Amino acid sequence: MRYLNILKGKLGRDPDFVELHAFAVMWSEHCGYSHTAGYIRRLPKQGHHGNAGVVDLDGDFGLVFKVESHNHPSAVEPYNGAATGVGGIIRDVLAMGARPSAILDSLHMNSVIGGIIEGIADYGNSIGVPTVGGELRLSELYQHNPLVNVMAVGVAPHGNILPSKASKPGQVMVVFGGATGRDGIHGASFASEDLTGDKASKLSIQVGDPFAEKMLIEAFLRMNEEGLIDGAQDLGAGGVLSATVELVARGGLGAVVHLERLPLRESNMKPWEILISESQERMAVVTTKDRAERIIEIAKDHLLTAAVVAEVKADPTYRVFYGDKKIMEVPVQLLANAPEEPVSDYVPKDMPDFRKVDFKVVDAHTVFEQYDYMVGTDTVIPPGLGPAVMRVKGDGGYSLLTHSRADLAVQDSYWGTFIAVLESVRKTLSVGAKPLAVTNCVNYGDPDADPTDLAAMMKALEDACRFANIPVASGNASLYNTYGGRAIPPTLVIGMVGRADPKKIVRPKPSNVYAIGWPDFDVERERRLWEVIEYLSAKGAFVLAASSLVNVTHVKALRRLGLKLNVDVPRTEPAHQMVIVFADSVKTDVPVEKIGVLKWM
Amino acid sequence: MVYPGSNCDRDVYHALKYVGVDVNYVGLDDSLDGCDLVVLPGGFSYGDYLRPGAVAAREKISHEVRRAADRGKLILGICNGFQILIEMGLLPGALLRNSSGRFVSKWVRLIVEDVDTPFTRNFKSREVIKLPVAHGYGRYFKTDSAIRVVFKYMDDVNGSDDMIAAVTTEDGRILGMMPHPERAYEKLLGGEDGLKLFTSVVEYLRRNAS
Repeated sequence: MRYLNILKGKLGRDPDFVELHAFAVMWSEHCGYSHTAGYIRRLPKQGHHGNAGVVDLDGDFGLVFKVESHNHPSAVEPYNGAATGVGGIIRDVLAMGARPSAILDSLHMNSVIGGIIEGIADYGNSIGVPTVGGELRLSELYQHNPLVNVMAVGVAPHGNILPSKASKPGQVMVVFGGATGRDGIHGASFASEDLTGDKASKLSIQVGDPFAEKMLIEAFLRMNEEGLIDGAQDLGAGGVLSATVELVARGGLGAVVHLERLPLRESNMKPWEILISESQERMAVVTTKDRAERIIEIAKDHLLTAAVVAEVKADPTYRVFYGDKKIMEVPVQLLANAPEEPVSDYVPKDMPDFRKVDFKVVDAHTVFEQYDYMVGTDTVIPPGLGPAVMRVKGDGGYSLLTHSRADLAVQDSYWGTFIAVLESVRKTLSVGAKPLAVTNCVNYGDPDADPTDLAAMMKALEDACRFANIPVASGNASLYNTYGGRAIPPTLVIGMVGRADPKKIVRPKPSNVYAIGWPDFDVERERRLWEVIEYLSAKGAFVLAASSLVNVTHVKALRRLGLKLNVDVPRTEPAHQMVIVFADSVKTDVPVEKIGVLKWM
Repeated sequence: MVYPGSNCDRDVYHALKYVGVDVNYVGLDDSLDGCDLVVLPGGFSYGDYLRPGAVAAREKISHEVRRAADRGKLILGICNGFQILIEMGLLPGALLRNSSGRFVSKWVRLIVEDVDTPFTRNFKSREVIKLPVAHGYGRYFKTDSAIRVVFKYMDDVNGSDDMIAAVTTEDGRILGMMPHPERAYEKLLGGEDGLKLFTSVVEYLRRNAS
């Protein structure tokens, strides 16, 4: 209601029916980032773009990446919810001009929900992008609100990277992909409320078609290769409305949209439904009138629909027509800029004595083996032994991981988040990679009921990234993960990419096994630990940097390589600074203990 | 061959390039004249809609594939390519949903059963090799007792009859296999046993050309 009064004030009148729907979507938490925008501004940022983050990999290639949530849809309809989560993040990377080359997930749930795993697997497998691992955290704390976060990475020559905006009046916007239906109407606003709310029905869930996505990927890359695209934005939450508004808002321009031109999958759709439908596998590209024809031709060659649906105007107004009938006219920047909630300054307390919060331990291979992690023939390190490492054909490579410490954050959201970032650095260094940047997904309960922990998480992300001197390149927030008012633990998922040299990758082989470091945590020692990991890895030692030191997934992954692990795992505090090192001998001034051996089976 | 929805086409391309083959992508409207080897890659042609391989097998390019087969050209179908060859009736049997009901993606051990085909000349008879599999519909169902089996799984992967992973025609010139040799051509990728399959074909073709 408060936002409605703000809207009335800005418009100077009551909003009409279509405007109400439009602003409900654009000002939803999902699209508008009302509660997090202020915190995001404080982060040490680099490479922030409209759709995903971009960092330089090696002077020639850019690494495009982002993590995103699809929690609410996956709770109500696990299979399609999770599948379309993959589809959405893939299009974010694609819209930057890069071929998506790897997917990672981060799953928090009560028990392994088959539908969610199958949804991710069927979609990722079908589009031919390898799902190269991720994290699987099982706890009853996520019983009603499973968290499905998916990270995607793509690689492209710098010259192919596309802006996420329109740049001059006279340009046109082409929407191509699957046809538009009624699925996912108000998905964005549904994703911004408690799961017992009245929008939590299957009608708010989008339905995935991975075949259309695969064709969309190939068509889009062809268009980019032919130099036909001036800017791009995928259609996700908020559909045509959100994509076209964002493209012109970032360019300080306006638009005229013609809804009757959109190819429809259902008859009798009302104009406002066409405007905000979240039908999947669609993309908006900015181009010029003369090049639009070729874009439509390429789309049709790929069995997709396409139409010029909007013109870019100098006047920064957003006008929507259905035939001759104008159905909406409002300032672009009003739609694009949701009201912001005030941010609070969180002052970190001393780290508490963490108690052990048990998450269930399972062999994650039962999940990994449903994912095609090898398609593309770039996967150098298979899932199960820490970060994934991918090569870039020709030269170079990169590491990627997702990581979180909700078991700590549920006790102290600041330190749990802070330590998750530090542990991500350890993991990246453990495969001999250099950390390049972070993407993050904030999964949170109700910020109106409890704003403090949100402030603590965002402050921890800011502080830890400054401590590690690693920029945040992209991010996403999923709030209102509550059920009947009960919230999930504050769960900040870190996605980290690093620069790796696949030729120097160390693989496990028979050796002694050492525990190196300290069984408790002291931030003053962290950099020393990083130096030791970096040094040992460069010397040819295989390093495991896991919160649990050694778990069943590691043991099974080693067994798949024909190796048997025989160790006494040392006891540590839940927050510790210890890593496991596989080497014949180790020389370091950090505490070392030999804990066993690794042998051929 | 690149069908709409193929997704291992680029991987096959790289593996063939790696062994020095002059390789081209072929689309639905292209001709197969002038080539010595046709590879139907893995993936999800037409999204596996209807049945894996069923729609692709009825595309007009399939007439070209059949014509190539009639003229005795070498044809290799990998994963979805194997499914397409079976749907076209160029290879015997059927490929059903895995007995687990789930997609399976991992490295598996195979026995080379037949080294007298152009694709397997460089393997030793009964050699044990490792290749990746990644499929949901790989359970081979035998409809014919007199078939040439080329690779067998050493462990049960998907419930296939007689652990069959690959079959060929009587003359050995059309090979269909569920495992992915193109994913095992470099040590960096975890194994290079697939390389021998490609070098076998290349050497066979070079010998016959000269």
